[in-house]
Amino acid sequence: MLSTLLSPVVLFFALGVLAALLRSPMSVPQSFAKGLAIYLMMAIGLKGGVEMSQTALSGQVFAVFGVATILSFGLPFIAYFALRKTSGLSRIDAAATAGHYGSISIVTFVAAIEALKMAGLPTSGYLVAIAAIMETPAIITALWLALRGRKKDDSNTTQIDRGELGREILLNASVVVLIGGLIIGAIAGKDDFEKLAPFFTAPFQGVLCLFMLDMGLNAGRGLRRGWKSLGLSPILFGIYMPLIGASIAALFSAALSLPAGDMALLMVLTASASYIAVPAAMRLALPESNPSVYLTLSLGITFPFNIAIGIPLYIASASWIVGVMS
Amino acid sequence: MTPDLHEKMRLELIIESPALRRAEEILLEAKVTGWTVVPAVSGYNGKRRWSRGTDISASTDMMVLICVGDAEFLLPCLSRLHSLLKRHIGILDLTTVQVLRDTEF
Repeated sequence: MLSTLLSPVVLFFALGVLAALLRSPMSVPQSFAKGLAIYLMMAIGLKGGVEMSQTALSGQVFAVFGVATILSFGLPFIAYFALRKTSGLSRIDAAATAGHYGSISIVTFVAAIEALKMAGLPTSGYLVAIAAIMETPAIITALWLALRGRKKDDSNTTQIDRGELGREILLNASVVVLIGGLIIGAIAGKDDFEKLAPFFTAPFQGVLCLFMLDMGLNAGRGLRRGWKSLGLSPILFGIYMPLIGASIAALFSAALSLPAGDMALLMVLTASASYIAVPAAMRLALPESNPSVYLTLSLGITFPFNIAIGIPLYIASASWIVGVMS
Repeated sequence: MTPDLHEKMRLELIIESPALRRAEEILLEAKVTGWTVVPAVSGYNGKRRWSRGTDISASTDMMVLICVGDAEFLLPCLSRLHSLLKRHIGILDLTTVQVLRDTEF
């Protein structure tokens, strides 16, 4: 656990948080950070696709696909009712925030893959597809939670352009690059990927460090701006909700007899909260919701929690559960 | 010798980026023939400073749409833009301006 905490990836993230909390003017240009994110997603998509090309899809894999979809649809219900019962957030804000917690953080996923490599636990390539699948269903649940009970002729009712929203949630960069990379990796196979390895394998850790520095800056700024206005209850939600999600994922993973690495990754996906795809969808579909609530929670509270404490905890838990069961 | 100037209206809309496309649709449907969009860099909203590039989703970035044209095309857009701004973050102002080349608008 200590080795994960002291890895350069986590330390660069901590540096970014610290710099933001100390009001350093340092910043990573937005378009550069977007490029880094696309690089990271391409790399894990390709690697996942290559791994998938070498193994047959089993019934267990399809079961995990089903579980992941159910989790992404279902977790926002738990998040929504927890927020409504404890935080005093409005229905719209609670629903928008809940959507973030059913979706996933691809950066947390990438950091977890690196931590699992350090821990010597292998993971399956198809989990990249699981990550892409879990991006979207939560948005649909969040919209249903927010819009149920509204009258159609209400002049304040959100009029959603389904084409515009559909493009945002089904064709956002994460989904396109992850699924596209996965398919290209599966078609290319190991031999063709070897030609790309100098670009996608060797610099990967360094690029991830650079990206985590930017993520730390974002998280630190979110934390600095948002924590006073949020109150204790939503902040606690940002910590206990990932633990609830990870526990549910652990139960499903144990039932499916997943190996420890895959179980830990499914726990990470379920515990993480979106801060790229879902905020954009919420600004389109639920503009009445307050972005400072969900961005502060997902990026300022849950993301740092998962990077510093969650990932090592989920890896240790998964190893322990698999050890007990075997 | 000063060239002749022509009176037009200038609409300036500062709006959150996810809603920009909706604003542009309103202008298109009103047969407005041209506008320019530029990114807003930073500002202050009465409560806190905001600046571009601090939200990785870019969903809270603000854009500025500038449109110069005839009042007969711009004024009919106002009620729909007002409805849009009831739900999305943004401000709108209209001014009377003078332009050098009437044929451009």
